[in-house]
Amino acid sequence: MLRFLLGRIGRAALTIAMVVTFAFVVLRLSGDPAQIIMGADAPPEAVDAFRTAWGLDQPVWVQYFHYFGAILSGDLGRSMRDGRDALVLVTERIPATLALTLPALLIKIGLGIPAGIYAALHRNSLADRIVMVVAVAGFTVPSFVLGLLLVLVFAVQLGWLPSGGQEGWRHAILPVITLGLGGAAVLARFTRSAMLEVLGQPYIRTASAKGVPWRAVVTRHALPNAAIPTVTIIGFMVGSLIAGAVVVESVFSWPGVGRLLVVAVANRDLAVVQCILLLVATTMVCANLVVDLLYGLLDPRLRSAPRRAGA
Amino acid sequence: MIRRRLLLATPALAALPRFAIAQADQRPAITVAVQKVVNSNTLEVLREQSNVGERVFYTAMWEGLIGRNWLGKLESVPGLATEWRRLDDRTVELTLRQGVRFHNGDEMTAEDVVFSFGRERMFGTGEGAPASGTLFTRIPGQGMQGKELPPEVIAVARRNWPALERVEAVDKYTVRFVNRTPDVTMEGRLARYGSDIHSRRGFEEAATWLDWARKPITTGPYMVAEFRPDVSLTLAAHDQYWGGRPPLRQIRFVEVPEVASRINGLLSGEYTFACDIPPDQITGIERNRAFEVQGGTILNHRLTVFDKHHPTLRDARVRRALTHAIDRQAIVDSLWAGRTVVPKGLQWDYYGEMFVSDWSVPRYDVAEARRLLREAGYRGDPIPYRLLNNYYTNQVGTAQILVEMWRQAGLNVQIQMVENWAQIFSRETPRAIRDWSNSAPFNDPVSSIVNQHGPNGQQQQVGEWTNEEMNRLSVELETSTDRARRRVVFRRMLEIAEREDPAFTVLHQNATFTAKRRDTPWKASPAFAMDFRAGNWGA
Repeated sequence: MLRFLLGRIGRAALTIAMVVTFAFVVLRLSGDPAQIIMGADAPPEAVDAFRTAWGLDQPVWVQYFHYFGAILSGDLGRSMRDGRDALVLVTERIPATLALTLPALLIKIGLGIPAGIYAALHRNSLADRIVMVVAVAGFTVPSFVLGLLLVLVFAVQLGWLPSGGQEGWRHAILPVITLGLGGAAVLARFTRSAMLEVLGQPYIRTASAKGVPWRAVVTRHALPNAAIPTVTIIGFMVGSLIAGAVVVESVFSWPGVGRLLVVAVANRDLAVVQCILLLVATTMVCANLVVDLLYGLLDPRLRSAPRRAGA
Repeated sequence: MIRRRLLLATPALAALPRFAIAQADQRPAITVAVQKVVNSNTLEVLREQSNVGERVFYTAMWEGLIGRNWLGKLESVPGLATEWRRLDDRTVELTLRQGVRFHNGDEMTAEDVVFSFGRERMFGTGEGAPASGTLFTRIPGQGMQGKELPPEVIAVARRNWPALERVEAVDKYTVRFVNRTPDVTMEGRLARYGSDIHSRRGFEEAATWLDWARKPITTGPYMVAEFRPDVSLTLAAHDQYWGGRPPLRQIRFVEVPEVASRINGLLSGEYTFACDIPPDQITGIERNRAFEVQGGTILNHRLTVFDKHHPTLRDARVRRALTHAIDRQAIVDSLWAGRTVVPKGLQWDYYGEMFVSDWSVPRYDVAEARRLLREAGYRGDPIPYRLLNNYYTNQVGTAQILVEMWRQAGLNVQIQMVENWAQIFSRETPRAIRDWSNSAPFNDPVSSIVNQHGPNGQQQQVGEWTNEEMNRLSVELETSTDRARRRVVFRRMLEIAEREDPAFTVLHQNATFTAKRRDTPWKASPAFAMDFRAGNWGA
């Protein structure tokens, strides 16, 4: 188990180092932050002064090694826009993003999984077709379109809810629904597919033939086996909690990590972008680790696989 | 006994007016949806060099000694100074308005004016200047954490006041600006963006430069209540404002990056104003008769800029052909619904006596463009046109129209989409054409044609264009005090930069549009600035 964990952590560290390097190269080689941050109309001497002050006049490889060294010593850098600590800037925004993504995750799970199971258990019925039509629609309609539609109906036409901003729980309703519906559609489709595959397996027929009640067949044999692909998707959704609402935050003017990322990338505010990417990568790696552990719990064959392989 | 009662009653009486005002404060609080509050995450005029900054700074927060008539033609009017006079070619003396209170309650005096133009706030102390080699993971010279100025603030201040020798306090209400060289534009520079006054005590009491720059103590009718960078700026009424009690209790600027979201928020009643409305949305908004879109031209022209070092554009005749092949009015009519104008070259009406009224942009003449290309022996070599994705309103649409117009004249211009300004200026591949806009921060051509196309202007600094005669004339325009001669010089500069050896060509004047309910009692200025003073609300 320890070797398994160490291996995982090593791979995670390598992944994060690659993310940092890739982001640095892409951001630094695709534009001079001094010119971008100071704007098109800034006097050239102001741009030069900014570039010199932040060390952007040095060779890129020198900047990279110094920056990487700083990260290793725990210094994630400062925003070039206003000199504030990048980590503080990012962590200030996390609660706002989680205020959307966590309730949305509950909607995704609470709506998507039961809908998928129900559709699979009633395959080819009217209910199945309705669930699938809604799921395909939710899956294919981009979140910014869905968000704007919801705003038009519930804010502009009916006047029930605010159209944007972050001033109270009512402001979170439409963005949470926008995020939740799309994810629920994805989960419903995956759950249905997984359930249909499991329901066609010989052990399900055997259990039924042995007279096991259908409810027990579903809950004790079908659902656990169908859970693995669903857990994988949920793991991905958990990994996206920090920065998975970029578009929705922009549409609803919600000041979360997603909007900060957009602004930081546009301004080539490297330290802030890297800080967000590090957090996202770390969250994703942790979520994957938990998913891997859950696989073992859900499927005993996976638990014993390393032992068998080593035997 | 009576005395004792009086003593007991005194604190209650002292508290009464404020309580009564609070109870009686029925003034409205408004919300203004903007695409961006500020770009730099500070509210310091010298750090925030942008149009969006102008909107939140003026007339709400910052004020200069010489103001502008924001609801007129932007001409100079008394501001924090009631009058000014020339002592000689290098010196202007101003009489300060008495009774002006800063947001911290202090009275504005000559000492604050001297400090506002001093080394601590504008030009730097020169100590601990950041040397090359500082890494971008650290704060340059601790500039933002301590009181040392960020280097770009100093650079901007020096650009605004290249030859300012000193500012003297003659007495409590009189100040004197002394230049090193003769300069007829000193009054204009005093009225420009960046020459605004703040409280010395407010600066000194702030823990860091960044703290001050996020809550500057100024004289405007509204003061900073809360600033959330990239999110919102909330201003509260400054009831001691010298120009009368502000008509609004609170102004909240909120960042709403999506146009559709700004419009939806306006229609649903959450926002009082929706700013930065593209021209193609105006008809849709005004279809609802309860709403209207105000605004129009501003002190900013859209230009197409040339790099004369490109192998094809080296021949001035090709650049001249480019300028003649553009039907500017068609662009104004089709993309701007006729809501802006084709100006008379790179100049503005408010230049006053320096405005060259019989000047115009090169006429639309495709035959002339073809003739010039024939003369130049142009064989259809591709000319790259680096383009940002709608950094300017209608930018991509304008570029597509331009390319087709140039094609009509036989020019093979090819659009290259890029992502940012650094890529626009990159010399890795030959540059030829790009977009730009030019403003005139004060009412003299020095503020535009010299500052942007002269020897120290951006176009020459980035190596796109230069012209020896133009450079000589730039110096003369900056230093000459002979007004008649200055007019001749400016006209000649226009001839060089727009006709003979084109550095750029002006397409149209820029415009900005703000949507609101028709019954909101407010008028737009011919600028990005939004005037929320007593004279422009409810009148």
